[in-house]
Amino acid sequence: MTEILQYIHTMLSQYSELKYVINYKTWQTDFLRFFHSQTNYNISKESIAIGVSIYKGKRNYSFNIDNPDAANIDVAVEKALDIIDSLPEDPDFVDIETDLTIAEYSSTVNNILAIPLEQKTKVLQHIADAVRGFNFEIYGTFICNFESTRILNSNGIDKVSTTSPIYLEVKAVHNESQVTVLETFGGEDFSRFDLADFTDRLTQKVRYGCGEIVDVEAGHYDVVLAPRCIAEFVQYLSGSMSAQSLDQKSSYFEDRIDEQVFPEYINITDDPTDPDVITSSYNGDGHIYRPLKLVENGVYRAFMCSNYYAHKTGLPKNGNTGNCLVLKEGDKTLEQMIGSIKYGIYVSSLHYMNFMNVKETSLTGLTRDGTFLIEDGKITKVINNLRFTERITRILKSITMLENRGFTIPFSGNYEFFGIETVKAPHVLVKDFNVTSSTNTI
Amino acid sequence: MEHIIKQTIEKLNLPSVQFADVRITKTDNESIYFQNGFLRHYGSDMDSFAIGIRVLIKGCWGFAGSRNVTPTNIDKLIKTAITNAEKGSLFITNPVNFKALQATVASNHHVPEINPFSMDQDEKMNLLSRLANKIKPQDKIVHSMLMAQFMRQEKIYVNTEGTFSHTSHYNTLPMMMVVAADGGQIQSRTWPGHMSGARGGFELFEKQKFEQNTDHIIKEATDLLTAPMITDERADLIIGNGHLALQLHESVGHATEADRIFGMEISYAGKTFIKPSMLGNFQYGSDLVTIYSDSSNPRGMGYHPVDDEGVPGKRVDIIKNGILKDQQTSRHIAQMLDLEPSSNMKASYGDDMPLVRMTNFCLAPVKGSLADLIAETEHGYLVDFTKTWSIDDNRNNFQFTTEIGYKIEAGKITGIVKEPTYFGITKDFWNSCDRICGPEEWELHGTFHCGKGEPGQAMQLSHGVAPARFKNINVKVSY
Repeated sequence: MTEILQYIHTMLSQYSELKYVINYKTWQTDFLRFFHSQTNYNISKESIAIGVSIYKGKRNYSFNIDNPDAANIDVAVEKALDIIDSLPEDPDFVDIETDLTIAEYSSTVNNILAIPLEQKTKVLQHIADAVRGFNFEIYGTFICNFESTRILNSNGIDKVSTTSPIYLEVKAVHNESQVTVLETFGGEDFSRFDLADFTDRLTQKVRYGCGEIVDVEAGHYDVVLAPRCIAEFVQYLSGSMSAQSLDQKSSYFEDRIDEQVFPEYINITDDPTDPDVITSSYNGDGHIYRPLKLVENGVYRAFMCSNYYAHKTGLPKNGNTGNCLVLKEGDKTLEQMIGSIKYGIYVSSLHYMNFMNVKETSLTGLTRDGTFLIEDGKITKVINNLRFTERITRILKSITMLENRGFTIPFSGNYEFFGIETVKAPHVLVKDFNVTSSTNTI
Repeated sequence: MEHIIKQTIEKLNLPSVQFADVRITKTDNESIYFQNGFLRHYGSDMDSFAIGIRVLIKGCWGFAGSRNVTPTNIDKLIKTAITNAEKGSLFITNPVNFKALQATVASNHHVPEINPFSMDQDEKMNLLSRLANKIKPQDKIVHSMLMAQFMRQEKIYVNTEGTFSHTSHYNTLPMMMVVAADGGQIQSRTWPGHMSGARGGFELFEKQKFEQNTDHIIKEATDLLTAPMITDERADLIIGNGHLALQLHESVGHATEADRIFGMEISYAGKTFIKPSMLGNFQYGSDLVTIYSDSSNPRGMGYHPVDDEGVPGKRVDIIKNGILKDQQTSRHIAQMLDLEPSSNMKASYGDDMPLVRMTNFCLAPVKGSLADLIAETEHGYLVDFTKTWSIDDNRNNFQFTTEIGYKIEAGKITGIVKEPTYFGITKDFWNSCDRICGPEEWELHGTFHCGKGEPGQAMQLSHGVAPARFKNINVKVSY
């Protein structure tokens, strides 16, 4: 055990009246940001921190120490013990996590070392060269993190998890029209990155991006949502699938367990065992993270439930946090989906979504990075970015086709430790998607 | 801290280094969260040091940051920053370059009226418990929260031009919210809204009148359950300060961050509809509209004597009488646009790379009170307290929903509406502004959570605003 971790563990274990959770985290990132097919900046960051939560009866107090040593731990623990008796109680607190299950060990490659800066710039140079002939330049980020977390608590939990996610996001932007298209790679295994395939897919979008730019009127359209889009809608909806939202009366799924909420071909799982997603071994409390069927054949099945909310709501706890969401693929090809549309829209990516009423799942947001007109079964023109105002549940109810292939889409949490998670999803065809205005810009 | 940082900058005075700067912060954070009347979380992160080293070599930025400020680690960071710049320069076609500045030496230490970190613990907890208890679930109220975030940060900045700045400040973000439910419907009210952050300490709970507004938000949240929605297609809107601060933030503040013009934020935050050719001639708003960036105002969270690139704090008119005049810039981008740098480069913590950020971004007041403005409005709505916000990649098409709207008929408030939603195009919207209230209504509002950059940074900043009226705004959104 790390010396400093042993130090605080030993110190706190002397107080029999206390319960405690210690979270020791080391984190590094190597972050290349590029614009106009050149480096914007290279950043390396690192941190070591201990987060401690102390419980005395129904009172609790938490503290975090960056770069911990014995001296600053002594000060923080002394302050915590000083303050905790004066705090009001949380009557809903019962106990800290008790799940002692250990996840199967899997080795983690440190991708910061495995993908050095020279290799990153070489990859980017290759992609930049491929699109330059179309008068496009590339913009984006190429990030590798390496993160190790050890969770200890006074109920006997001692668990370690390590992860090293990769996040490559390349936007190709036309030098004059500013038409933008996007391709991404995310995961932990860089051997799954196929540079030729990645470049081909981006170049295909670039070709579409060379088309005429038009506007469309507000109204209802049949749309093909790229995997990134439906993945993001599912991510937003997953907030409603948590016991916390149920407890706060903001869940759409209140009183809907075992109800047919979507068509029977909609299946959503929170699945850390899927080899294509960035995995999690445990949730933040140290509970093991296992696959959980959230929507099965269109029927809503379960809430994601932490230890605290299991005690509060009476629901079974499961350790799921929605970090490994998978929307099951269907049986159509992308060509079949686009080919079935007489006049509609292909949406590549979404931007700035926000709930208007979370319980109703109503929200507004915009399209971004490539919105295309579909005419007579073919992508024909570029459309200015569009605003939509919709209910996510209505979108899922209106899916009529799912692609026969799932794509792993990386999303960055961005703040603090730049957490990277993935959602796996196919293209989907949605009927009567509600476009409410045009942005007049690309 | 001072000794460490001076030693570090000396080591960066190398022939290969065109420019370098170092910043160290020492930060204390405390957060308190009550849910349904009970203390759910009380946490702190004290004496957190962070250092960032930025170097410009061969026209490329390299950066290394850490929470470990030991001499051995700093030597490692220097090497990493240099390596990052040197290797990054292999993928550079237009090297970064900017004009030298004269050295500035500055110091500023802010002291709040009530220091939240050293005040009597019982006094602090008693007030918060009392407030939390007053808004706990009752009748139609099914959920409530009260939160407070306190931050104290000390910062030293140095660069290879000889600039040295030592500052410290306290910022506080207080907020409370109640959620009312009836059947399948929920409605919420916050106080004082999402833009409640400010420079100051625990005194903000009194200044922002929390105690006086607990019953008020409970009543309004409950009343919203049975309130109608707006049925007009278009309407005149008076926007209250709490929400106007966000409208300004999203549709002018971010739009005039000039790094967006050059695509430096495309991968995350986005672009802007503004082009360099618009400077000096683009009619951004009506001639009533003057908007400025003012890092020289010590009352706001965006105050600094020197920014994180060595540029002295200043006021810059971004829009003057409706015309776009200037941009928020870094030294590099200012040179690209042939402008003077605007003192807008900021890093949230020492180990963050500085970015073009809003500081105190303000709408200049004009004349009259809010009461006068309501009295002069024949038919319209006063909307306030942000519920939903969304704006496109180019900062051109926005849509906002507020928690509540107050219907105005013949110069009087006659009722409330729920979830008033409006949308528009930035230029058209600001050109529709026909009244802005005067200095007596002008207030600073602020946020702790302005997200930008990768790796992401959450910036604390302020907006000065006075209520304003916008004519004939689209308020019908069907979904």
